[in-house]
Amino acid sequence: MEFNRLNKWGNELNICIRCGYCCEHCPLYKVSNWEIDTPRGRLLLAYGLLTGEVEPSAYVAEKLFQCFYCEDCSKSCSAKVSPTDIFTDARADLMESGFDVQGTTVRNDEKLCMACGRCVSVCKSEALSMDMENMRVLVDKVKCKGCGVCVAECPVGAMSQKEGFGISSKELSAKIESSLKNMNGITKVIIFCCDWSIYPGLRLSRMELMEAENTSEVIVTVCAGRIDPGLILDAFYQGAWGVMIACCPLDECEHDGNYRAQERCALVERLLDMLGVPSQRLQLVHFATGETQKLKSAVDSFVSEIASLGPI
Amino acid sequence: MKIDIERLKGIVGEKGVRDNIADLYVYGSDSSVHEATPSVVVRPETIEAVQEIVRYANAWSIPVIARGAGSGSSGHTVPIDGGIVMDLKRMNRILAIRPRDILCKVEPGVVCDDLNRVLQSHGLWFPSTPESGRIATIGGTIANNGSGVRAIKYGTMRDYVLGMKVVLANGALVTLGADTRAQASGYQLDRLMVGSEGTLGIIVEATLLLRHLPKFRAMGLAKFNKLEDAGETISDIVASEVTPSLLELVDDIAITALNKTLNMNLPQVEAIVVYECDGRLKEAVDYDMETIKEICEKHNAFGIEMGSDAKEMERIYSGRKKLFAALSRYRDGFVCTSLADDMAVPSSKIAECARKIHEIGERNHVVMNAYGHCGIGLLHTKILMEATRKEQWENARQAVDDVYSYVRSVGGTTSGEHGIAISKAPSWKKEKADSLQMMKAIKVALDPNNILNPHKLMDAPDDWVTATKLRYPVEL
Repeated sequence: MEFNRLNKWGNELNICIRCGYCCEHCPLYKVSNWEIDTPRGRLLLAYGLLTGEVEPSAYVAEKLFQCFYCEDCSKSCSAKVSPTDIFTDARADLMESGFDVQGTTVRNDEKLCMACGRCVSVCKSEALSMDMENMRVLVDKVKCKGCGVCVAECPVGAMSQKEGFGISSKELSAKIESSLKNMNGITKVIIFCCDWSIYPGLRLSRMELMEAENTSEVIVTVCAGRIDPGLILDAFYQGAWGVMIACCPLDECEHDGNYRAQERCALVERLLDMLGVPSQRLQLVHFATGETQKLKSAVDSFVSEIASLGPI
Repeated sequence: MKIDIERLKGIVGEKGVRDNIADLYVYGSDSSVHEATPSVVVRPETIEAVQEIVRYANAWSIPVIARGAGSGSSGHTVPIDGGIVMDLKRMNRILAIRPRDILCKVEPGVVCDDLNRVLQSHGLWFPSTPESGRIATIGGTIANNGSGVRAIKYGTMRDYVLGMKVVLANGALVTLGADTRAQASGYQLDRLMVGSEGTLGIIVEATLLLRHLPKFRAMGLAKFNKLEDAGETISDIVASEVTPSLLELVDDIAITALNKTLNMNLPQVEAIVVYECDGRLKEAVDYDMETIKEICEKHNAFGIEMGSDAKEMERIYSGRKKLFAALSRYRDGFVCTSLADDMAVPSSKIAECARKIHEIGERNHVVMNAYGHCGIGLLHTKILMEATRKEQWENARQAVDDVYSYVRSVGGTTSGEHGIAISKAPSWKKEKADSLQMMKAIKVALDPNNILNPHKLMDAPDDWVTATKLRYPVEL
């Protein structure tokens, strides 16, 4: 198999010292804990493909197509290696050789799609385009960064991402359900938190005792733009007293997911208003990377405000 | 080697076993120059599962290599003989925090920085956290006796392990140590496990001593036109009444790499010394900082910067923190290899050792720099070289040998915190020549079938260059 694009990264793959410091931030690694799901693991696969030690296969391709492009690995690398650029070229080579896998990219169900084009208009990665002749949406899997903004935007649920990464509608809904079940006798607050701006709490370890004492539950998504109105309403429907969405500061989200979240919050607020539910039960807040304390105090004050309102 | 995969799946479930070539390839590497592919990766979540896997492996003499984050730099988790890599990252629960006993109990896969995130709300911390603490696990740090930048004041992992649960090679579970700081009698078997690099047992739970978070911290940075002056400064600080909480050296090669890779705009001097003091009283911390500043000035330091707010301290320390990886772009065509990556020498020999490292690098046609936690006599280097050229590996072999010959000649030791594993074993075996038989006897007594991380430490091959396949594309 030819690796016309990946070939140029041979030297960079040697420059990588494999320290593994990139692993800390990776959203995929936080979910699976398998090393193949770390940026270092995928760089090793790319290296193995180049040296011939790893045979190209659907499994290897699937792994290289799994990346949410938060680029925290690239930003944190002191050797200035850019894993995401390398993955993109590996993807293009693999696609060219016929490995058509989904990974974390979006899939459009043509049976459901109405070709309204809303997904195309919100995709900042230019991964979606409209085939006007056949009136269908095309997905460029090499360009798709898996932010999920289009999944939340699609009015008919035609856009989806694979399960297993904790970000599909089904998984997020199940997480809301189990979180609310565990909040017996306390203020029931759901916090949606954008993994790319801030990751609250423990990244790679577990502390079950602490989780049991929580008065709110933080549900981490890859981008606030992934939160669709249905999920917010689902949280209220399942018994949440309040919902908070934490996202990147305006103009700092490369997917404009925070703008989308803003629009969707405004829509849900109107719906809540029509139902006679006070709009302060839904709050959107902005946080920059590392502002953990700021998030914590915002959560605390939101929880006490919601506690005074009581259940809906 | 035929391994019964179904049997392993029966122990940890289908989802806890990986045996496809892509996963195995990934688990064959760490941060060292070595590569070797395991036969299977298993991920137990309970002590019972670890016991059952080890019992099975022992019955069939299959190697078992315990693995945390795989951040080791000498090939600790590289499965030199294949076998089972036991990934312990899902045994990652913080089991108990007991502030009144100043201790915690954790599973081996807990990540050092995660533990400190939790401890912070109790006003406590775990100081023996290595620079790699963002991913390094407690189990790996114990097995390697890691220490980190604050060892000068707070000691190394050995000082923090009160007790542990260990699965031995025969599958038996033993509880070593106690929940107390005072432990007097008998063999200190918990201490024996610290630094044993996975060769004597698999740590499945640890009881760790904690410390109160210092109320005040201040950090300083001093520049030197002569490396010798920086070395003298470090020796004088160590010998003074002040105990800094951090004392680091960064040499000119490292400064060049940081400026080139990360545009840090550091002054191109021969050496920078970074220091930190902490304590309960601001006045006491300031007084210690001033004393260190005077020692620096006595040895011709200039451009001294000091700061005590978090952002300022982060700025002062950022160069040192990002150094390791930045070295990989020191010179076009060169890469940074983790070779001769750490050593310890008596504090008075710091400057001389740093100079020797530079000379040895030059003599052997590679580049070697010097940096590290010099307050405890610990120096790190890396060999920067053209890793795809065969001759450079001859050069590297000689350079490693030369460095450690010097270290031994001044009463130093082969590893201060990074461990021995494969690539430092030849030098270490020379250093420990008269105690190797004792170590081998302990190994045979505890692991008669030689299944636990075999062929590491005293049993590692005599030539590290050919011990495994190298991670770089080079034909030797």
